[in-house]
Parts: sequence; structure tokens; C-alpha cells
Amino acid sequence: MIHDQARYTHDETKREPLLSEKDQTTVEIDDDDDGPLPADLTRDSVTLPSLSEPEIARHYTRLSQMNWSIESGPYPLGSCTMKYNPKFTEDVAADPNAAIHPDRAAETVQGNLELRYRLQEYLGTIGGMDAVTLQPPAGAAGEFTGILIAKAYHEHHGNDRSEVIIPASAHGTNFATASMAGYDVVELPPGDDGRVDLEALEAAVSEDTAALMLTNPNTIGLFERDIVEIAEMVHDAGGLLYYDGANLNALLGRARPGDMGFDIMHYNVHKTFATPHGGGGPGAGPVGVVSELESYLPTPQVKQTDSGTYEEFEPERSIGKVHGFTGNWLVLIKTYAYIARLGDEGLLDASAKAVLNANYLASQLDLEIPYGPFHHEFAATSGDRDAADVAKRMLDFGVHPPTTKWPEMVPEAMLTEPTEIETKRSLDSLAEAFNRAYADTDEAIESAPSRTAATRIDQASAARNPRLSWHALEPDE
Amino acid sequence: MTAHIPDGSPFAPHTTADTKSMLEALEVDTEADLFDIPADVAFDGELGIDAQSERAVRTELAEMFSQNDSLTEFMGRGHYSTYVPSIVDHLADRAEFITSYTQYQPEITQGFLQALFEYQSMLVELTGLPVANCSMYDAATALAEATLLAGRVRSTTGDTVLVPETLRAGKRAVLENYVDGSGMQIETYGMDDGNADLDSLRAIAGEETAAVYAENPTVRGTIEESLSAIADVAHDNEGLFVLGTDLLALSLLSEPASVGADVVVGEADVLGLPTSNGMGLGIFATKETFLRQVPGRLVGASEDADDRRAYTLTLQTREQHIRKERATSNICTNQAWVALRAAIHAAWLGPEGLVSLAEDSVRNAQSLAAEIDEITGYKAPVHDRHHFREFVVHTEQPAAAIAGELASEGFAVHVVGEHELQVCITDVNESAADELVAAFEEVAA
Amino acid sequence: MSFDVPEDKRYLESHEWTSTDDETVRVGITDFAQDELGDVVFVELPSVGDTVTAGETFGVVESIKAVSDLYSPVTGEVVAVNEALFDEPELVNDDPFGDGWMLEVDADDPTGHDALLSPDAYAAQIE
Repeated sequence: MIHDQARYTHDETKREPLLSEKDQTTVEIDDDDDGPLPADLTRDSVTLPSLSEPEIARHYTRLSQMNWSIESGPYPLGSCTMKYNPKFTEDVAADPNAAIHPDRAAETVQGNLELRYRLQEYLGTIGGMDAVTLQPPAGAAGEFTGILIAKAYHEHHGNDRSEVIIPASAHGTNFATASMAGYDVVELPPGDDGRVDLEALEAAVSEDTAALMLTNPNTIGLFERDIVEIAEMVHDAGGLLYYDGANLNALLGRARPGDMGFDIMHYNVHKTFATPHGGGGPGAGPVGVVSELESYLPTPQVKQTDSGTYEEFEPERSIGKVHGFTGNWLVLIKTYAYIARLGDEGLLDASAKAVLNANYLASQLDLEIPYGPFHHEFAATSGDRDAADVAKRMLDFGVHPPTTKWPEMVPEAMLTEPTEIETKRSLDSLAEAFNRAYADTDEAIESAPSRTAATRIDQASAARNPRLSWHALEPDE
Repeated sequence: MTAHIPDGSPFAPHTTADTKSMLEALEVDTEADLFDIPADVAFDGELGIDAQSERAVRTELAEMFSQNDSLTEFMGRGHYSTYVPSIVDHLADRAEFITSYTQYQPEITQGFLQALFEYQSMLVELTGLPVANCSMYDAATALAEATLLAGRVRSTTGDTVLVPETLRAGKRAVLENYVDGSGMQIETYGMDDGNADLDSLRAIAGEETAAVYAENPTVRGTIEESLSAIADVAHDNEGLFVLGTDLLALSLLSEPASVGADVVVGEADVLGLPTSNGMGLGIFATKETFLRQVPGRLVGASEDADDRRAYTLTLQTREQHIRKERATSNICTNQAWVALRAAIHAAWLGPEGLVSLAEDSVRNAQSLAAEIDEITGYKAPVHDRHHFREFVVHTEQPAAAIAGELASEGFAVHVVGEHELQVCITDVNESAADELVAAFEEVAA
Repeated sequence: MSFDVPEDKRYLESHEWTSTDDETVRVGITDFAQDELGDVVFVELPSVGDTVTAGETFGVVESIKAVSDLYSPVTGEVVAVNEALFDEPELVNDDPFGDGWMLEVDADDPTGHDALLSPDAYAAQIE
């Protein structure tokens, strides 16, 4: 008899079974006599897998073997900045001395407060902002915080504004954020050169404009050359300028949103500052503001007292809170460690090599790239080939494909961001994967991938017949 | 590493020769020539951050964190610490998991998808509700999202969420910000000896009630005894019953579906994550009726081209990257890795371990309260209820002064009123419970 | 690629079609629309008895990667909805002008149907 685990490991036609397929054990909850609670306050039973530690170790190890990661190979997802996550940052974040409860009295957690204070300062300097909150737990939460700050600012000045202007090519979060904050979205069509069209902006800006949300370089890697005029137009109308920090990696040490006229920005530390994406999170989305908006920041902020100690305070006109406590603490420690490790020279080199890598990779591709000059990322087009199919074929060539079919201003877009961590050799092989997949037959790209843990997955079946837990699976499924 | 630019990023691997040949291929002299930044907005100053060696950064941070007072915490109120077995770190820190991105290419991310599918399944089992997403940021934002869901479902009639007066201030502040843009209102009902005051709740409920929110256990540690009656108040007014709880409480206390919960929110980071300054893992589970209103990511099962079971993110049209301003939420990056940790921890405990840990949470709170109660100067628990993990202590002396003295004895507890402390006991601090009792005694004297 | 544009129907610029038997107006989306959307996974329709208004949305059709509003070509009361779509949304892809129909409306002004795009005009639009 072949042992289960051996069979599943070596037979590629079988995958790792679900925990529930390995075991299901029902534990009845004790009744009044033996249990600590009366029966009407408890559930009847719990049915879950009951497995030994070795079985669990093998289960998750096997799952990890069916997962691509930045340490598996190139991960050039445009707008995602998939950088190597330095190992030592995990160790500093695991320091038991930093593992404290958020309600501890400030005088007993001076070390943690010092880190928060210094990270506020670091991020402020890097973005050219006067004050920073670390509370938002992700980029979208940062956007929400920023737009709430804009809203509070306008309300404080007796200015009820109803619109947020967003370029059509912006991240989906921008639109959803503005809407969640209660604003109407005014979508800005792109100009012929892929950047903001000043005439379209002129037409969109009005006394109803609360803010313009902008990514710079934008979502196809182009720098908004007219940023000073854009800022003037928005400010003249009484609006605020919001910077989406997703693409900050292109500018580290070379240009700062604060110097371009932006009033509010968020930082995606899981992109720019190399904290791990964790399969979808946690990230952190600190928000920086100019001095005029400092008093609206979420509570608490950290300041240094004259005697050198640190304390928390609530800004005078604070918008309140966007996270139940103080955000994704472990991620913030890793952010600090990364910035401290790189320093000025390292940050400047990161943006240099990120832009060099994107441009070099682009130069090696057979695909057309309609817009430029681009910085840390570029949007190639697969033309009459389906970008999603080309991407699936790339999986067979041992690389992760780029972001596909977005932004829509580039047809069949393949938005590619190799980041600074790839070597020339790695970029050459990435280019080869691109070119081979792009040149492959229709049949080959449509049936790809074949060398992955799963072949092409039926998305329509998943959505038409949602099966969202092991309870929803048929016994033979 | 000598071939690399000495002052550059240690994580940019370019040799001088490679950089040169790449620049030549691009027909430029330096990387700076590739930038298209107008001179008037270029930054040519210094940030003033000194690069440090790895060892120096580690030393700096170790020294910084050593400035924190080393206190044994008996703290909870929404952020709990349970002993996290070593296997959680070792498995979750595998690079294949922690350094991966959102599973937009499911064919090469089956492992993480399956782990998240299993996490969702555990929540489905524990809540009794058929839909659970693969995470929100924390309990506060999960409550806020549940309220917005209720507002959408009741968009033509109900616009008010009813919350307990004891709702933790931080949670309430987040809720206020989320409902601000939706035009919804928050109203507060009273509490009676720690649990919901049904008369107070019924008095403010009405046709404008979109949702009623209650917690089990409550923020003061009591176990709610009227969940079905609270649900009835919500349902009689065509509102939703939103129940706040946590992963461990779910293993023992009444199953949410059986008491009429429409949405379950709360913290799942009671498992898998050590105390981490408030970092969380928001639970979001609901009924099938509201499937298309669910915020955040969902993992579903499907088939691959060879007809084998496979997992994928699904129903993504709810989400911001497709539906933009009409999305159910703006959430994108979530807490996936924390969910992985919680799932590994829950799997390691198994149903026996979960139930036993949850039962200990009741027993230990009860016995610790009884011991403190015996000391002159304290009454514990303040509420004549069953407790889960934590309870409130009445102090004859001002509570802040007692807490200060307990800190000098090496213990941290919550001050929740002029004469009220709150104490939380879990398997992490239970071995120090006797010393805590001794400290309470010492301080009282 | 050419798309089916049946002669016996009328069309909206937003890719809905109508056909009428003088009593009720039947509504669906075109072959072109279903192809643009890709695999349809979900259709949200009003209930029988609801009122729909010409030029306003009456529902939503979703594919895996896109969401599209459905616009009513006429004003009137919904007398039938194609409930088969709730279990088999793929009917919209497989047979957009037949089994993939969506609504039947008792139109206030049945002649309003005639004012919509002719097959030729619609075919020119999607060319």
C-alpha cells in the first residue's frame, strides 16, 4: 500500500487534499454538569479536522510548493512592485520586546513610540510631506484616510464640495475610495500622450472639486510633466491634490510629491519599501500631508517631547480613526528596517535600477510599447493576441507574467514592472519568455499553461456555481 | 558582493559590467538619463538617512525595543494573545507563502488559494454561515463594512445602525468614518450589567434600523445571554443582525447562525498572531443572500482544463478593480498572511484544542476573578455574568493609581473607569496569574 | 468577426435588442454584447410586476471580468423574467436572441419599439 502523503507528493494528477479530506472530527460541547457554561450559551458541537503536527507540517509545506513567490523567480506585475523582501526584516519584526498590547500606557512603551515617531519622520522626508500617520492598514485604507482628510478640511472651511476627479487609467481603489467617502467621481479621459489632458482637466475642475487623485508616474509609467500646472489648476479651484503612492519606487530620492504640489499622499510600504505582500496582505498605507492638513490626521499621532521622551496625542481636528488600533505594526517595523538599511544612497539606487531594469527589459521585447518615456514600468501591447492568453503561456516558461488588460488605454495591455531586484540575466530570460509566448501559436497560448500545478482554471464555473468552503463541495468533487 | 555598486541598494544585484551593458543597450550614459522629471520638480537634496549594515539596523532596533518596559500583560479588549506554536512561524514564513502576491494567476498559486479556502471553511463551520471572505483588516473595519452592507441591502428604508454604548472607542471611531460617506447614522443602546439592555434596544429600534450590532463576548468580557432576542429586534424591523465575536469564542459560544446572525464580524487574530500592537485579522461571514454584497476577496473551488479540482479568486466583479466606484468596498490588499497563520494555528489545535482553550477562557476568567474578589479593596467580576477570557474589577482606590502600582510590580492591565480595571487571562499569562493576585494584594495593602 | 443581427428585432446603442408580438416587448442583449462580455456568470433582473423605464437601467449582467448595466428600451410593467438565467446564465452566451432573453414588458407605448435602431443601423454601429 502506498502511503497517502507519498502518493500525493509524487502523483501529479492528484493534489494536496483539503484538511477536511484528511480528517473530520466532531467534538461535542459538554453539557451543564461538566462544561463551564450552561447549554443555552454554547454551541452543540464543532466539526473540524483533527491532525497531528507532522501531518499539518506536510500539508502546508506541500501547499507552499504549489505557490509562486518572489523567491521563486521574476514577478513583474505592473503597479505591484514585487521586490525581494529582505530576510532580516522578519527577524527584527519578531522581536518579543516589540510585541506589546496597543492599550499600554505610553510611558511603558517608549521603544515602540520611538520607532513610530522616527518612521513618521523618515516617510515625511522621503515624500516631502510635513506630517505622516502610520495608521492605515493598506494602500486603499490610506486613500480613504487621505480623502477623509480632504473632506474634513473642506468642511472646516465651510466648503461643501461634492466631486473627486480621477484619471480613467487610475487604480480601481481610487474610484471606490472616493465613492465610499461620499463623493461623486469625475472620470478624466487620458490625453493622446497617455498623460493628463490639461484641457480635459480644465473642463473637469470646478468649485465642486474636493480633490484630484493622481498617480505619478502614472499607471503606464509616464511622469506627469505638467504636474506644476495641474497642481495650480486644482489649487486655484480650491481643491486638493492627492498622490497615490503605488508608483513611488520610480522616484525615490529623485522627486518628492510634496515638491510637486501634492497636499496628501499615501505610501504603499509593501511595494516601495519591500515589506512582503503575504499572498495579498498585510500591507500598510501611511499617509503624509502638508502642514496645513496636519491637524486633521487620524489619532493618535506620536510626538517627541522637549525632554526626549515620546507621547501620543490627538491632532486638533483629527478625522478620528481608520483602524481599530494603530495599524499593521509588524509591517511598519519592517518598513523602518528597510529604509534604515538602504539610506539615501540605497533609495536613490533602488529607483535608478528599477527604471533601468524596466527600460532594458522593454528594449528586449518584440511587443509594441505605445507610450513613453516610461520609468519603473511600461505597458506593452500584445496587439491582436489576447494578453491574458499570452500571460498564461508565460507561466509555462517559468516566470510570472505581468498585469494584463489594464490600464485600458492600452489595448491588450501587459503592464510590466520588473523592479530593481532582477539581474540582467534574469531580465534576458524574462524577455525570452515574453517573446516566445507572444510568438506562439493560438492553440498553444489558448491551452496554456500546462507545466503548472493546475492547468487553465475555469473562472466561469467558479462564478456561476460558487463553492466557497469545503462544506459546499460535492462528496466526489 | 564586491562587484556590486558599493553605495547602492544591497538588494539591487547589478554588477558594474551589467549596468554598463544595459545602459549601452539603451544608448544612454547613466540611469539619470532615463528619467523624465522636469527640473522644477526634481529633488536634488539629501534625505539625510544614513545607510546601515544589516547588523547595525538589528542592533539599533533591538536597543530601541528594549526601551519598552517588560511587563506581563493581562490585557485584551479586542486584541488578544494566545500561545502561538512554533510551527505557525515556520510554515507561514516559508518564502513561497510570505513573499507571494495576491493570487491573480491561480494556476501557480494553488497553495495559498487552498489555504485561504480552508480558512474560509473553518469560519463557515464556526459561524454556521455559508459565506466567509478571506479577510478584512480588523474587527473595526469589518464591523464598518457590515454596516455598509446592511445599508446597501436596506437602501430604500433603513439608514441607522444600533450599537452598544460600551462599543470600544476605537471601533466606534472607525465606524463613524465609514458610515460618514454613506449617509447612515449610528445610534447607541444601553447595557444592563454588562450585556445588552433589550428594553433600551427595543426603544430605539424602528423602521429606519438597517442593522443591530451586538458582541459576544462583550468588550467587558461578559457572555451575551439574549442573542436571539437581539436578532428578533433587528429582524422585526427588517434590519440585519451583525454579531461581533472572535475565532476562539466561536469555538464554544452559541453558533451565530443558530441565534439569527446575518453577518458575523470580529477578530480572527486571537489565533496565529502574537500580541502585535493591535494588528488584526477581520472576520467577515454572512448568508448566501448577501453574497454579491460581500466586501473583499473570496476564494472558490472550480476545475482546471484537466477537470481536476482547483481554486481561484472568484466573484471579483464585486471588487474595486472591476466595479470601481460601484464596488462593494475599496479594499484591495487585505490580511491574507495573517489568515494563513490563523488557519495553521486552528488546524494545529484541532476541534479538541479549540474547544478546550475556549473552555479554559471561561474557567480561568472565573477563577482569577474569584481570587481577586477575595482581596479587600476589590470586587470582581463587576458584572454578575459568565465571562470569557476577561472581566472588570471594581477598585476602592482610584483605578489609575492601582494600575500604576501594578505596573511597578511588573503587570499591565486596562483602566476602564475611575474605579474600574479590566483583566484578561489567556494561556500566555495564566502561569503568572498567582503573581498577579499577589500583586493586587500587595497594592491594596 | 461578424455578429448575428436578426432582422426581426430592434436595437439600442447600448446593445439591447427588443422584439414584439404587439402585446409585450421582449428584451435581451445582442450577440455582439455577449461576445464583448465573455462568459456571463450572473444576471440581475427586476421582478414581475416592477416597472421599467425607457433609457434607464433595469438590471445588471456580469461576466468574470466585467459588469454591465442593462438599459430598458421601453417603459412599462414587467410581465415575465427569464428565470432560467439565474441557474444558467450561460444561455446569454449560447443563444442571446433566443433562450437567453431577459424580460417581457407590457409596454405603455408598444410603438416605441419601432423608434429603436433598425438591424441595418445597429449592424453599422458595431462594424
